[in-house]
Amino acid sequence: MNRIEIQYFAVLRERAGTGRETVETSAATAADLYDELAARHDFGLPRGMLRVAVNDEFTDWSRPLAAGDRVVFIPPVAGG
Amino acid sequence: MQAFSFSSAPLEPERYHAATEDRSAGGYASFEGWVRDHNEGRTVERLEYEAFESLAIKEGERIVAEAIARFGVTRAACVHRVGSLAIGDLAVWVGVSSAHRGEAFAACRYIIDEVKHRVPIWKKEHYTDGDSGWVNCERCAAAAHDHDHDHEHEHAHASGDFASHGHEHAEATQHDYSRQIALPEVGRAGQAKLAAASVLVVGAGGLGVPVLQYLAAAGVGRIGIVDGDVVEASNLHRQPLYGIADVGRPKAVVAAERLHALNRDVRIATHEAKATAENIDALLKNYDLVVECTDNFRAKFLVSDAVVRALKPAVFASVHQYEGQVQVYRPLPHWPCLRCLWPEAPRDGIVGNCAEAGVLGPVPATLGAMQAMQVLKRLLGLDAGEAPALVTVDLLSLETRRLVARRNPECDHDDPGALAQAPAAAGPIELEFATLAEAFESGLELVDIRETWERMHDPPGLQIPTHLPLSALVNGYLQFPTEGRYLIVCAHGVRSLSVTEQLRTQGLTEVYSLRGGLAALRS
Repeated sequence: MNRIEIQYFAVLRERAGTGRETVETSAATAADLYDELAARHDFGLPRGMLRVAVNDEFTDWSRPLAAGDRVVFIPPVAGG
Repeated sequence: MQAFSFSSAPLEPERYHAATEDRSAGGYASFEGWVRDHNEGRTVERLEYEAFESLAIKEGERIVAEAIARFGVTRAACVHRVGSLAIGDLAVWVGVSSAHRGEAFAACRYIIDEVKHRVPIWKKEHYTDGDSGWVNCERCAAAAHDHDHDHEHEHAHASGDFASHGHEHAEATQHDYSRQIALPEVGRAGQAKLAAASVLVVGAGGLGVPVLQYLAAAGVGRIGIVDGDVVEASNLHRQPLYGIADVGRPKAVVAAERLHALNRDVRIATHEAKATAENIDALLKNYDLVVECTDNFRAKFLVSDAVVRALKPAVFASVHQYEGQVQVYRPLPHWPCLRCLWPEAPRDGIVGNCAEAGVLGPVPATLGAMQAMQVLKRLLGLDAGEAPALVTVDLLSLETRRLVARRNPECDHDDPGALAQAPAAAGPIELEFATLAEAFESGLELVDIRETWERMHDPPGLQIPTHLPLSALVNGYLQFPTEGRYLIVCAHGVRSLSVTEQLRTQGLTEVYSLRGGLAALRS
């Protein structure tokens, strides 16, 4: 199990009811982690519409996770 | 030599050059205007210039003084011929000495443009057929032949040039840039770079208002405003450039008036239209940089594709409730475009805009001010060594986060063919109706996808019985019928278009979006 710090933006923050949380997870990749959290929070947004950043860099969904990683899920926003 | 003078004898550029040369300045730029042998299809044999000299000299001197102050050049002068001239004779001469070439060219251009525009000079042409005629003084002709910003007035009916009023106020207090010139990284040279720059702002709403205000206040030489909307009362809390008395007036026009009042050094062009696949390339052609300030993905991707094609830098921003994102694009090989970041172009309506999701005014104001700062950074060259990134801002927690972004190797944004084809749309997907009754009579079933609260204030004549709110569709609480003929309706036609596109991909063929939404019907 890895301890991962997670940050949510925009519509994901609303659905999760929080901007950040820390989870203990066995998710191997960023994709696995999103799927796990999407089920828990009922995100309803497909992964393809989002981007994930790990430790302040945008990355592929296949990136393996390590303990202490900071993961940010970002949907595109359009308001102006 | 005098800053501005007339000569009835042939002009002597070498003498003027020597008189305006400055050994301490490294650059010199000059413009010469010659009598050409034709005008509007007629062959010209010779011509005569006549000026109202006492008035003209004062105005000419003022123009040269403005150029020196504005561009920080060391010396400048202009000489105009009067009397009878033959083909090939020199008609006007401008020379500028400056420490830097950019300012030399800019000041030279400014002087000749303003002289042609503002100085009362008349021209009589003698044609080879024996005929002759007085040609309008150039400043009268300016209305017909835009010389200020090249081809922008192809959209003549939709464009306005507020700079032409500048001379009425030439003796008013000068704009004072001393507090920004005081920055060692800016200085007079930086100020001249801003004065020589041109920026197109797409969208004059919550983001666009602070962008326009700060760029105009900073003395960016030329600003274009693209916005097809009128001011609505619900805009004012986040767009305080406008007032309650402006409701119903075109945003681009009101914004231009306010910016002109703020800084008369700045030339403003207005484009009262939405950015579309048809007009975007022509709109941004005459600008150095583009600021994307709209509230929908359609426009954002349109601008992103266009700046990639045109190799121009752009600054994007978006807000959602208490958060925002800023991204700078530069036409360099490793810099990502919007499509690199979001390969599946998101559909409008899925993640909310200000009308649907709600917003507090300072959120777009903060993000817009950040955009303006990124523009100034780029124009002043203060972004050397900066890596591409998406910056997220959360105004509740006051946290900002800089997420390093890279070029997506699968994005074909360098392939001109791929992008050129992108805007092509298949078949009519939007329909226009004058009234709601006409829409009902079309035989299509009208479906209102607005949220429940948006329907509460509908007048009795504008109610649509079939209601499938977008939030319920997106969350899967409601399903759209799999067959039938529909006209999808929302407030402004943005959400309905994205839903219609989605339904078409799901196999519904006879589904259309009401162009402009209910707002278009009401007006």
